[in-house]
Amino acid sequence: MYRYIRQTIPKIDLKAKVTGKARYGGDIKLHGMVYGKTVYSKYPHAKILNIDTSKADNFPGVVAVLTMKDVMGNNELFGGFHVLTGDKVRFIGDGIALVLAKDLKTAEKAQKLVEVEYEVLPSVFNIDEALAEDAPIIHDFAPGNIIPDSTHHLIKGDLEKGLAEADFIFERTYQTQFIEHAYIEPEAVVAIADAYEEMVTVYGSIQNPFSVRGAVADALGWSLNQVRIIPSVIGGTFGGKDEIASTLSARAAVAAVKLGRPVKIILSREESILESPKRHPYRFYYKVGVKKDGTITAMKSTVIAQGGGYNNKAQFTNWRAAIHTSGAYRIPNIYTEVFGVFTNTIHGGAMRGFSSPQTIFGQESLMDELAEELGFNPVEFRQINALRPGDTTPTSQPLGPGKIPAPLPEMIKKVAEQTEFVKRKEEFSRINEGPIKHGIGMALAMRGAGLGGEGLDATGANVMIQRDGSVVVRTGLTENGQGLKTAHSQIVAEALGISLERIIYPNVDTMTVPDGGPTVASRGTMIGGRALLKACEEIKQNLFKVAGEMLDCSSVELEIRDEKIFSINNPEQSLDYLKVVDQAVSIGVMLASLQWFSPGVANLDHHTNQGEAFPTYVWGVVVAEVEVDTETGKVEVTKVVSAHDVGTAVNPEAIKGQVYGGIVMAQGMGVLEEVEEEDGILKSKNLDEYLIPTSMDMPEMEVIIVETDDAFGPYGAKSIGEPATEIPAAAIANAITHATGQRIRYLPYNLERVLLGHKLTKKGVRP
Amino acid sequence: MREFEFLHPESVTEVLDLLETYGDRVKIIAGGTDLIIELREDEGPENLEFVVNIAHLEELNYIRQDAEKIYIGSGTTHSQLAQSSLIKEKIPALAIAANSVGSPQIRNRGTVGGNILNASPAADTVPVLIALDAQLRFKSTAGERTVPLHDIYIKPYKTNISSQELLVEVAFNKLSRSASSSFIKLGRRNALAISRMNVAVILDQDSDGVITDLRIAPGSTTPVPSRIKIAEEVLLGQKPTPELIKISGEKVSEEMINLSGYRWSTDYKKPVIETLTRRAIQEALEGRG
Amino acid sequence: MKTIQLNLIINNQQYELQVDPNLRLLDLLREELDLLGTKEGCGVGECGACTVIMNGQTVNSCLVLAGQAQDAVIFTIEGIQGEGEELHPIQAAFIEKGAVQCGFCTPGMILSAKALLDHNPQPTVEEIKEGISGNLCRCTGYQQIIEAIQLAAEKMK
Repeated sequence: MYRYIRQTIPKIDLKAKVTGKARYGGDIKLHGMVYGKTVYSKYPHAKILNIDTSKADNFPGVVAVLTMKDVMGNNELFGGFHVLTGDKVRFIGDGIALVLAKDLKTAEKAQKLVEVEYEVLPSVFNIDEALAEDAPIIHDFAPGNIIPDSTHHLIKGDLEKGLAEADFIFERTYQTQFIEHAYIEPEAVVAIADAYEEMVTVYGSIQNPFSVRGAVADALGWSLNQVRIIPSVIGGTFGGKDEIASTLSARAAVAAVKLGRPVKIILSREESILESPKRHPYRFYYKVGVKKDGTITAMKSTVIAQGGGYNNKAQFTNWRAAIHTSGAYRIPNIYTEVFGVFTNTIHGGAMRGFSSPQTIFGQESLMDELAEELGFNPVEFRQINALRPGDTTPTSQPLGPGKIPAPLPEMIKKVAEQTEFVKRKEEFSRINEGPIKHGIGMALAMRGAGLGGEGLDATGANVMIQRDGSVVVRTGLTENGQGLKTAHSQIVAEALGISLERIIYPNVDTMTVPDGGPTVASRGTMIGGRALLKACEEIKQNLFKVAGEMLDCSSVELEIRDEKIFSINNPEQSLDYLKVVDQAVSIGVMLASLQWFSPGVANLDHHTNQGEAFPTYVWGVVVAEVEVDTETGKVEVTKVVSAHDVGTAVNPEAIKGQVYGGIVMAQGMGVLEEVEEEDGILKSKNLDEYLIPTSMDMPEMEVIIVETDDAFGPYGAKSIGEPATEIPAAAIANAITHATGQRIRYLPYNLERVLLGHKLTKKGVRP
Repeated sequence: MREFEFLHPESVTEVLDLLETYGDRVKIIAGGTDLIIELREDEGPENLEFVVNIAHLEELNYIRQDAEKIYIGSGTTHSQLAQSSLIKEKIPALAIAANSVGSPQIRNRGTVGGNILNASPAADTVPVLIALDAQLRFKSTAGERTVPLHDIYIKPYKTNISSQELLVEVAFNKLSRSASSSFIKLGRRNALAISRMNVAVILDQDSDGVITDLRIAPGSTTPVPSRIKIAEEVLLGQKPTPELIKISGEKVSEEMINLSGYRWSTDYKKPVIETLTRRAIQEALEGRG
Repeated sequence: MKTIQLNLIINNQQYELQVDPNLRLLDLLREELDLLGTKEGCGVGECGACTVIMNGQTVNSCLVLAGQAQDAVIFTIEGIQGEGEELHPIQAAFIEKGAVQCGFCTPGMILSAKALLDHNPQPTVEEIKEGISGNLCRCTGYQQIIEAIQLAAEKMK
C-alpha cells in the first residue's frame, strides 16, 4: 500500500499561481535594468551588406546598440543559430542587432532606426524547392540543403522479400504543417553580470537550463562555471523555450557583461512566433505490402522533415521518427529512411511529441486506408497487426512479461468496447444523410520512453534532510506546469516515509546541481525519479543506522512509514522520525545525498537502429468522434477517449490534466493550426491569426489510465506528457475521413481542405 | 505604441467641439478593441495627435424604443446588445450577432458604433443592421444628419464619414409581429473568431405563407456590406420551396462574383455563402412567429 | 506628451496618479503599480491573460487605455482574496481540481470565472465554457478549469 504514490494530490506549487504571486521572467524588475529589443531580418534569404546603427545609437534613452562584432565569444550557437546574425540571414527571424534602452518603449522606437542594407538571395520555401536540382544553397556545410546528421534508418528483416510476399502493395504520401507551441507566456529573460564573482546569472523562461548555460558560456567565451541559470516560473513551454531561450539568454548576457547593467529581453507575441522554433512539418512516402488476411508483410518509408533556416533538433526528432514511423505493428520487414532539409522559413525544433504526432498521423492514416482497401474495420485491422507479447519491436526489442510490457491488444479491445467503436461507426454511416455528418476514428501508438538512443540519458538528484526534519529536494529538471515538482515530491515522501508537507523543491539553479540534461522526452518522472529514489535510499540507510542503534536492533530490519521508524520484526517498538533526525544531527551523521541515474549507453546499431532503442515503451489508444459540416467544412470534435499505459499512475488527476491538455493541443493540430508563411514572410503573426482551440471548441474527454507492470521507472512509473498529445490528431483525421468519405493526406483539416480537399492560398491551390 | 494626447470629455457637446477644433488629428476611442491594436502597431491615422474617449459617455449608451423604431446609442456594447431583452425579443438576430463577437471581454468593451465605423467586411452586427435598413444619426457642431448605414461604406475599412462627425445613434424600424430574423456566422473556431463568412436574413410572410418581406445581407461577401436584392427577389411574392431557397442562395454568390470577380478564395466562398444563405432563410422561416 | 491625471480604485484602494496618455491599463497595473499578477500574452485582446474586472465586467487590460479607466473600480488577481488573505473559493477550487499547469493564464481565467459567477452563480457547463472563452489556455485543455468553476459555484452557494 502506497501512502503517496497512486494518490491524487493537489499540485504543490499552485498557491502562488492562483494568487498571481508566481513570478515569471517578464515580472523581474531590477535597479538600473535596461531593455533589449532585437532588430529582425526583412528578408528570408539575403546577404547583409551593411548595418548602420548610428540613428538608433543617438536616440535619446538608448544605452547601446549591439551587433555581431560585440559578441565577445563564439557568435555561432549550437545548430548554427547566431547570437546576432551579421553576414547572411536565412529566415526572417534572424536577429541582426540588439537595441538596449532605458525602457521598453524607447527600445521599441529605436529598434526601427537601425538601418540594414541587404542583397537579396534566391530562396527555397518548402521541401520540394529545397531538394530541387538547382536549388540555392542555404548553408555552405549542407550541400543539397540536406541537414547534416539528420539522416537515420531503421532496417529490420528483408524489405524486398516482404513486399514479394504481399498480395497487395499500396503507396501513400502524407504531410504535416508547422505548428506553434503557443505557450501563453511569451519568452522573457533577464541577465545580470557580477563583476566581483566574474559570473553572469540568467533568469527567465528557460526549459533546459543546462543547454542555455552552454550557449551563454559559448557566446561570452567563458567557462561553464561562470554562468548560472535559474529558470523563473515558466508559462508553458512544450519543448519550445529551448533554442530560443539559448539565443535570448546569450544576447542578454553579452549585453549585461558589456554594459555592467541588468538586461531584460521580453518578446512580444509577434516576436515570439517569429523567432521561436516550431513543430517540424514532416512528409511521409509509404510503400506497404499486405496479405489478403490483413497481415502487413513489409513497409518502406521515406520521411523528410522541413528544418527551416537553422537546425539544432532535426537530427534528434528524425531519429525518433525513424524508430516510430512504422508504428506499433508487428511488421517483419521494415526499411525506413528519414532526413531533414533546410528552407528559408521559420524552423522546426522540439515540440511535445518530438516528431511523433507527425509520424502517428502518417502511419495511422495509412492503417485506416489499408483497412478500408482490404475490407476490415479499423479495429480488426489494428488487432491483426498490433504488437503483442512474444513479438519484438521494430528495433527488435522483445516484448512480454518480465521484458517490456505490451498491453496494446487489450487496450484496443477495451477502448473499442468502451466507445462501442464498431457499432457507432456503422450507425454513423447509416444516419449520415444530411449535410452534418458524424464520424468516428481510432489511432494508436507506442512511444519510446525517455531519450533512449537519441543521446545519453542521465540525471542527478540531491535530497537533504535539515536538522528540523524539513527536506530540500533539488534536481536539474524544470517544473513547466506539468507537475514535476509534485510527482518528484510524492516519490521522495513515499521513499522516505515522511509527510509531503516537509518538502521544499526550489527551481533549478545550475550552480547547485550537476547537469541533469534537459527536461524533455517525458523523462522527468521516469529518469529523475530513479535518481531521487537512489538519494532517498542512501539517506534512509543513514537514518536506519542511527535508529538501529537507538532501538538496539539491526538497521536492515527497519522500515519507515508515516514518520515512524520501526522494526518489521517488532512493529510495536518505534521511533519518531524527528527524534532520529535529531540524533543523527547530534552525532554527525549526514542526512543528505547526491545521486545519479543513467540507464547507460543504449546497445544499439546506429546503422540499422536495431537494439535497445529505448529502455521501455508506453502505449496509447485514442478514439475520436466528430461532426463535420460538409457544406462549410467546419469540424466539431465532439468526443475523445484517450487510453494510456503509464506504468504506475503516480498522481491520477495530474495525469488526467496532462491528457486533457494533450488532447486539445492535438485537436488544434488536427483541424485548426498552421503557421502560415507566404514567400518566407510570416502570415500568422499573433494569436488572432494563429488560432488555438478555445473552451468552446474542446471536446468531451474521457481518460483511461492503464497500469502495467514495468520494472524500469520509479515505482514502475513511466511517461505521459508527450504520449498525451501524440495520438489524437490522427484519430480526429480518421474520424473526419469516416464522416466525409474523403481522405485528406495533409494537416490541418481546416475549413477549405475539408470542403474542397485542398487548401487555398493567394498563390493558388495547395494540397 | 503611438504617442498622442488623451482627452476625456464630459459630454457629447464637448466631443463635437473637439472634433471641430482638431478635425482629422483626432481619433475617437470607444471600446478600443480595434483602435488600440492599430496604435500598438504604430498604425492608425497618420496625423493623429489626440485620442478622444467616449466609452464613458452615458448619453451614448442606451437601447430605447417608440411605437415605430428601436434606437441604439452608438456607445452600446456588444454585451449590452446581446443581453437586452428588447433586442432579444424584437430582433433576436442582432442579439445573436452581437453575442458572436470575439469573447466576453471584447463584447464588454466593443461597441456597436465601433463595429459599424471600423468597416471590417467581417463585422458581425453590420449584416443584421444592413438587413434592418438601419439609419445612422451623426452629430457635429454644424448640426446633425441621418444617413442610411448602407451609404457610408466606400471599401473595406473605409467610410465616407467626415472626421468632424460623431456617430451617436443607430435606429431601425420595428419589424411586423409576423416577421422573423436570423444570423449565421461561420468562424474557424467557436469563440474569438472572425467571421469567415456570415449572413443575416429578415423575413415576413402573409397568412398564406407568401413571402412579403425578405432582406438578405451577407458579410465578408461583397466589397461593401449590402442587401442582395437579386437574391431577395427570387422569393418575394412566392411561397418558399427548397428549390427557390437554393436559387436565392445562388444569387448571393452570383452577386459576390459579379462585384468582386472570381478570386483565389471564391472556390470556397461560393458554395459556402450559398449554404449559409439557404440555412439563414430556412432558420428565419422556422423561427417565425 | 501631456500626462493625464487619473483617479481610480484598484483592489479597494483609491489611487491618484499622473500617467502617460498612451499608457494601457495593463501597463499601468504592471509597470506603474507592480500588480504583476496581470499578464501580457498577446497584446491584441486574444489570449485573455491580461483580464481584469473593471466596473463589474471583465476586460482585456491590453485593450483599455489607462485614461479610459478614469473613476473605474478595478479588481486584479491581487484583489480577490479575503481580508485575512484566505483564498477566494475559486482560487481554492482551482488548486483542488488541478486546474492550473503553467499558471500564466490562471489569473485572467480566475477573474473571468469570478465575473461569471458574480452574474450567474449557478452556470451550466455551456455557460462556463462561454464565460472563459476569452481566456486561452494551452496546458489544461480547459477540462479541470471547468470542473473547478463548477466546484466553486457549489461551494459559494
